[in-house]
Amino acid sequence: MTCLVVAVPGIALAYVLARRSFWGKGVLSTITTLPLVLPPTAVGYLLLRLFASDGLMGEKVLGFDLDVLLTWKAVVIACSVMSFPLFVRTARVAFEEVNPRLEDMGRSLGFGAWRAFTSITLPLASRGLIAAALLAFTRALGEFGATVIIAGNIPGQTQTLASALFSAQQSGNESVANRLLLVALLVGFVTVYATERLTRKSRKAKGGSR
Amino acid sequence: MSKKGYVFDLSLRLPLDHFELNLEYKGSARMLGVFGVSGSGKTTLLECIAGLRKDGRGHLSFSGEVWMKSEERLFLSVDKRRIGYVPQDHWLFPHRDARGNLEIGKQRALDNGIDFEATFQRVVEVLELETLLDRGVDRLSGGERQRVALGRALCSGPQLLLLDEPLASLDGALRRRILRFLIKVRDTFDLPMVVVSHNPMELQALCSEVLVLEEGRVLEQGIPEEVFRRKRIFDTAKDQGFENVFTGVLTEIGERTVTLEIERGDQAIRLRVPKVEGVVGDSVIASLASDDILIAIGKPEGLSARNCIPAQIEEIEETESRQFAIASIGSSVPSFVVELTQDAIEELSLKPGIDVYLVFKTSAVRV
Repeated sequence: MTCLVVAVPGIALAYVLARRSFWGKGVLSTITTLPLVLPPTAVGYLLLRLFASDGLMGEKVLGFDLDVLLTWKAVVIACSVMSFPLFVRTARVAFEEVNPRLEDMGRSLGFGAWRAFTSITLPLASRGLIAAALLAFTRALGEFGATVIIAGNIPGQTQTLASALFSAQQSGNESVANRLLLVALLVGFVTVYATERLTRKSRKAKGGSR
Repeated sequence: MSKKGYVFDLSLRLPLDHFELNLEYKGSARMLGVFGVSGSGKTTLLECIAGLRKDGRGHLSFSGEVWMKSEERLFLSVDKRRIGYVPQDHWLFPHRDARGNLEIGKQRALDNGIDFEATFQRVVEVLELETLLDRGVDRLSGGERQRVALGRALCSGPQLLLLDEPLASLDGALRRRILRFLIKVRDTFDLPMVVVSHNPMELQALCSEVLVLEEGRVLEQGIPEEVFRRKRIFDTAKDQGFENVFTGVLTEIGERTVTLEIERGDQAIRLRVPKVEGVVGDSVIASLASDDILIAIGKPEGLSARNCIPAQIEEIEETESRQFAIASIGSSVPSFVVELTQDAIEELSLKPGIDVYLVFKTSAVRV
């Protein structure tokens, strides 16, 4: 879910950051990266203010209630915001590795800009983009601070792997905690390993074509 | 699908790092060559024609279609110009095999009412791509990539072919081979082309008109055989020396050598040149470096050099560093340029009008 929320705007932003140069690019890039360096609780608090009934995205401004706080939607939003920078940074590198000359060639063969993007750039960057999505997924899986603040930790509703592990440990339920730890280790290892392989292969493939 | 009068009308200004590209050209050569040393602005010119550079000012139209007119902020984007652009580094798509690359322009070809299957077959045949079709791009050699890149452009049904240094990345024998493919493409497809090169020989073999660029300006313009004989060009092309390019007909095939005949009205000149693939009757392009030719004032006897042809000195040219004799071997054949030292010119008292013999070895001729 988070992956999907992140992917479309993430790909768009990453492409723009990789290809275009414009006024304020540095600022945009920095803002995008912020959630990566801020304390997750700070991001959570910011989101809380945003979605509170008197916040920018709250009932009073929008005129209706998005009903985000303390629901599964809050989990998705928190995870998305936290994993967005990681996705964009990885995707941006993936796009930067595709030489713009290849897009030019596509254009010269009659492709419009959109067609050049979908049939040349996207397939050539696909490995890097999958890697980006996997990284975003792992980041979302590990998200705790921001989630706890805006979604709480309600078993069966807004509880995530991270918050469930926290609860289990706090309540001394060691066997549950151990099982959760094992799952986390496994998922984390598999995704990071896959990401490594994907990025290495894509670099090799593109190196050979120049 | 015969196109009459592909007229270029070009006026372009574009500041580059060290000079300004500033040129005008109006003409209808089907095979236009752009010659210049590296850094003379010729690739930039080609990119402007292609529409890959948008910062040029001026105007450009091709066959009545306006492609650029900067004062009216008119700029037709690259995908709408219907060009076949073959850059120096090929830029094949690494995520597709050779066939996939050839097919990538299929949609445009179909949109323009071109029978794609027939074109594809013809391209594969002319460029001898059959065995390469299922190969990945990373498994193609330099010459094969060049052919696939050329084929990709041809398959997309372009109205103009733009070639950037089509032979520069290849060496020796391969260069000749690809040159033969280019000539075949020229003779098979009714397509105008612009060829950029730093090699006068290639342009003489391919083009009907050349522009010589120096620091972004047109230095000379005209028929290649004439332009490359002009004095100022010798120094522009000095790193490579001058190569005489001529076409002959294969008349005799020996074990290691073949005989070429050059028509010149009254009687044919026969030359012994290194072995080349082909059958009797084939037309062969050969070249001979200007400093590989000796001049004799009487008919020499007992020479190991196999070729000795009568000629008449037309002119003696001098550039800053070198001296050349231009020798005519017949009215219907381009004259030969022979590089000489000042001493030789003086001792043999060479001057326009005197009869001489041009002597050169079989192995000096490159086919």
